[in-house]
Amino acid sequence: MHELLASRKVSAEELTRSYLERIQRLDPQIKSYVTTTGELALEQARDADQRIKAGEGLTPLTGIPYAAKDSLSTRGVRTTCSSKILENYKPFYDCTAIRKLKSTGAVLLGKNNMDEFGMGSSTENSGFFTTRNPWNLDHVPGGSSGGSAAAVAAGLAPFTLGEDTGGSVRMPASFCGVTGLKTTYGRVSRYGLLPLVSSFDTIGPMARSAYDVALVLEAIAGHDPKDSTSRVESIQPYSEILKKTENLRGLRIGIPKEYFVEGLDAEVDASLRTAIKQIEGLGAQAVEVSLPHTQYAIPVYYLILFAEASSNLAKYDGIRFGLSERNVEGLLDVYLKTREKGFGAETKRRIMLGTFALSAGYYDAYYLKAQKVRTLIRQDFEKAFEACDALITPVAPTTAFRIGEKITNPLDMYLSDVFVVAVNLAGIPALSVPCGISNGLPIGMQIMGPHLSEEMLLRIGYMYQSQTDWHTKHPPCWND
Amino acid sequence: MSQKEEVKVDEKLVKEIASLARLDLTEEETKTFIPQFQDILKYFSILNELDTENVSPAYLSSANKSVTREDKVEESVPTQEFLSNAPQAKNDYVVIPRVHIEQ
Repeated sequence: MHELLASRKVSAEELTRSYLERIQRLDPQIKSYVTTTGELALEQARDADQRIKAGEGLTPLTGIPYAAKDSLSTRGVRTTCSSKILENYKPFYDCTAIRKLKSTGAVLLGKNNMDEFGMGSSTENSGFFTTRNPWNLDHVPGGSSGGSAAAVAAGLAPFTLGEDTGGSVRMPASFCGVTGLKTTYGRVSRYGLLPLVSSFDTIGPMARSAYDVALVLEAIAGHDPKDSTSRVESIQPYSEILKKTENLRGLRIGIPKEYFVEGLDAEVDASLRTAIKQIEGLGAQAVEVSLPHTQYAIPVYYLILFAEASSNLAKYDGIRFGLSERNVEGLLDVYLKTREKGFGAETKRRIMLGTFALSAGYYDAYYLKAQKVRTLIRQDFEKAFEACDALITPVAPTTAFRIGEKITNPLDMYLSDVFVVAVNLAGIPALSVPCGISNGLPIGMQIMGPHLSEEMLLRIGYMYQSQTDWHTKHPPCWND
Repeated sequence: MSQKEEVKVDEKLVKEIASLARLDLTEEETKTFIPQFQDILKYFSILNELDTENVSPAYLSSANKSVTREDKVEESVPTQEFLSNAPQAKNDYVVIPRVHIEQ
């Protein structure tokens, strides 16, 4: 696409128009966008065309359209977190990742649907509507960045920015057959990201290939004085490194036995084993490792999430911004009625459980206990990375489940995150790469590495994709 | 509370938490939450299998040491722009309903 733009065979405006037209035509079925920017996108595209014409400040992303999860603040463009409580909220600033993409000349097409505030694994908890999996409209796209994954899969954006708190980039990427990167905690600034769990949240790219993900990562990563937790280490020329990579010789790939257990779908298991063989064929060596505390990751993750989320969502009280119920008796009623009306069921459930876990008498048994077990889970990874360079596991135990299948049983929904949440507890990066199709639905492989190992993860993904074509497969609506 | 005891989730507990969380739950929501909370907390009690007596909690995710920014005045958001999202504003202030209500 960059070549077509740079050689001026296609203008950024034409490209943007074709995406906007496609969104208008196909998104009424997929429902991946909450907001499209229309005129603003065309304006940004015309600016990009000026840059291309002048040949100044060109980057591989100049003139390339994209979309972002609706938890990333966009100046003057409605940012809702798919919550009724923020239905009409327009931030007066851009989050750092969006500001950086703006400066490269990338074109924002719109904002993607998600589970409300990132709370869910299926996008069914959106306060507005459920996004559908482009591969089969009766199935979920995964969550919480479900809109961002579905948009890439259906050809409604060449790339998107997602956000991963406990699998929210990797799981939808896996369910929709696209490539998604959960970055190291702090690799991409969180400034301007509406928080779910401040100590887990990470922004990461979703695209068709590991190479495209690398191009986006280069543009958005790096230290930001406005986020004190952003990492100071310099970023690497990820895409250049990929172009020079020829094999995976010398890499030791750990296969954690706790991730290949009962409950793992047989076809997912078989696809993963084939993929591991292919990666061995590229020169890597597979070794069995153990992450003994894996089964405790779900309760630890959710207890910490409940606690931090209930605290982060306290600011939605109807006073300074967002929905406000004013036809009431006094201040306390504004809080109570606004929050009752503005939050969805899952959000309320998690606020309640978080308030409980932090309350006097229960703090030690739940929140503190969870933070202690989190230490054990981190130590598992530290030990594993002494024996290997990267770990390979499935992203999810099954392919995308049906819409409605898990929504009435919250615990069942939480358990679908079993393979993805430990990564957030440890703060490490992980890449989700398509590695098979079962009954018309994609299967994903998760590649995890130590802190700041994005370069290695992308190298493994890139080499795997040079030998396989799963990432080039399209859902039926692709040619519509 | 000891870690071994199981919490009994009932209407009273749910209503207490709702009041702390500033959520005005409907009767129906309260009723749905009771068994769901019981299930979730029961499942989460598997954490009690682990002895964490000598383990320190992992509060911080950041690898950075405490970072300070240069104390420099930067351009800030104009008040009117900031207030453009407020449900109600007057002059340069956010308007809220009265706090004290005559009983």
